[in-house]
Amino acid sequence: MVQSAQFAHSLEGWFGLLPLWGWAAVSAFIVIYFLALPFGGLATYIERKIAADMQDRIGPNRVGPIGLFQFAADAVKMLAKEDFIPKGGDRFLFNLAPLFVVVGSCTAFAVLPLSKYLIGADLNIGVVFILAVTTLIAPGLLLGSWASENKWSLLGGLRAASQIVSYEIPVALSILPIVLISGSLQIGSIVEQQGWTVFGENQASYHFWNAFHNPFTFFSMFLLFIGGLAETNRIPFDLPEAESELVSGFNTEFSGMRFGLYALGEFCDVFVMSAMVTALYLGGWHIPFLDIEKLGFALPTALVAFVQFHMFMIKTLLVVFVVMWLRWTLPRLRVDQLMGMCWKGLLPLAFFNILGTALWMWVFKGQSLMQLLAGHG
Amino acid sequence: METGYITAFWFIIISALTVPLMLGVGYLLRPKSKVTRRKMTSYECGEEPVGSAWVKFNIRFYMVAIVFIIFDVEMAAIFPVATVFKESIANGTVALVFSEIFLFVALLLIGLIYCWVRGDLEWVKGVTKFAPNK
Amino acid sequence: MNKVLLLAEILTVASALVVGFHPNILYASVFLLFTFCGVAVMFLYAGADFLAGAQIIIYVGGVTILILFAIMLTQWLYKIKLADLRNKMILPAILSVAVAVFLYRALHQMVATLPLQTPEALEKFTSTPKTALMGHALLGSYLLPFEAITILLLGAMVGAVWLARPE
Repeated sequence: MVQSAQFAHSLEGWFGLLPLWGWAAVSAFIVIYFLALPFGGLATYIERKIAADMQDRIGPNRVGPIGLFQFAADAVKMLAKEDFIPKGGDRFLFNLAPLFVVVGSCTAFAVLPLSKYLIGADLNIGVVFILAVTTLIAPGLLLGSWASENKWSLLGGLRAASQIVSYEIPVALSILPIVLISGSLQIGSIVEQQGWTVFGENQASYHFWNAFHNPFTFFSMFLLFIGGLAETNRIPFDLPEAESELVSGFNTEFSGMRFGLYALGEFCDVFVMSAMVTALYLGGWHIPFLDIEKLGFALPTALVAFVQFHMFMIKTLLVVFVVMWLRWTLPRLRVDQLMGMCWKGLLPLAFFNILGTALWMWVFKGQSLMQLLAGHG
Repeated sequence: METGYITAFWFIIISALTVPLMLGVGYLLRPKSKVTRRKMTSYECGEEPVGSAWVKFNIRFYMVAIVFIIFDVEMAAIFPVATVFKESIANGTVALVFSEIFLFVALLLIGLIYCWVRGDLEWVKGVTKFAPNK
Repeated sequence: MNKVLLLAEILTVASALVVGFHPNILYASVFLLFTFCGVAVMFLYAGADFLAGAQIIIYVGGVTILILFAIMLTQWLYKIKLADLRNKMILPAILSVAVAVFLYRALHQMVATLPLQTPEALEKFTSTPKTALMGHALLGSYLLPFEAITILLLGAMVGAVWLARPE
């Protein structure tokens, strides 16, 4: 079932106004236009503000209170900018490239579990869906860079494609321990199982956040995070758009709103990766040690969804904050260090984590650390 | 087919429509610009572009893609097995599933170690091989 | 529901035709990407959701990138006009028709063995999640082929790395 449609059903009288596909369209519209794109816009402001704080500057402060509407001003500027395609470039591919990037990053929002009741589509293959959809970004960047007919672009695009492609493997392998633990690829059920509570009766069947399931998953979380950084071309893995060597990398020739769409897609991708870390390892929409649906009295579903949504957003934005924090902390890697880190560092560690988790599950009959400590072993 | 995919399709359609929408809004908002020959040349830090932009590049990029595909196919095979692991603990076939996963990891690791030992994982091969400190 | 399927089929066939007849090889490979996506949607309609995901990850994320890299590495390949080859199409045409006939017969026989004869059975078949079933199959009757494929892939990796060495 479409989860959001179920949620709409709980708000009495709403459901029935539209057919199922209509609700599907509405929920897609809401998630993309009221979550993904505003986040992409606001993130540019937040990033500049965080950078300013870390470097002891003020940052944007002119447009609106504490410069909050800076992103709107930026958007207007980008829309009004001149838009051109280099003469030797390939018009068709040049137009197609931002489409790949935006579709690849925004479609992944469909399976993000914003709350138990607010999931665009809780697909059976949720995790694989995210991996599959975000692979569209790599051909997009590569084609866009080729179509620009610019040396900087081509080098940046090649680096982007090979980097995304190589780090896809550590990312997928660091998801595998979670699949071993949960026995499912469905994100909703993966999150649900992390709802261990202090006084709940579900302690035996639910384990605490997957990051604290066993020592191996704790390391695995960092692998997923590092892999996600590389997949989204964030510092220290921003070789594809390294300003000091490649001008702006794959988006050198993209001006105005075309560049804006690239930036938007990239920030949405950062959100998706952070949300994935949150949902798979940090308990998703669960409040730590508490299940607000089992407090002894019933809360309205809308309120539950509201609280859970905020819990999820707080966790995800904290991860996003770490991503931005790293940008102003770490220097850029060299290309040989980048590849070495993937194949010699992350990959063996990911294998180690998979085997370790499998062994833990076997030895302790699937109990998590928290369950063992609480004596449910 | 699950009905959830209808929502997924709508996500694809709406996000795909966003691109022409934004570019269209930009088209309506911006002032008309004059197209000059110099403006349409590709950017090379202010210099006149020299030669074709489609330069030759390192074959290692290609190598990475090949190794990626092989790892990817393996992963596609192991994900379904991994989903069965949890219930195999309950029904007592865990040794079989575990050995399957172990074999999978071991074989991939052998391939990886082979590449590693032969130095195929070094990006800049000559430098690392003949570096003076080795 | 079936409108999406129809759309996917049109996408698959149309972009496959572009792949076959477009003179620019880079465009052909871009449309190959759309063909892969269309096939993935068809897998979804057949109830093979995991297979659809794997199709996108491997073919769109891997094979397309590999093809693009290959085209970009060898520039003479980019400049060649495939239209020059139009008069050499008789043998490929015969071959592709033969393959199509063979595939049709094979699929026809395979479908006959599946419990899909009534609409309800078809609905039930396509709506059951296949991932766990696949896992059980790989551990049960397909255990040996699975291991064989793992070893084959190991060999493929060693071979690919060996071939790509510059010496």
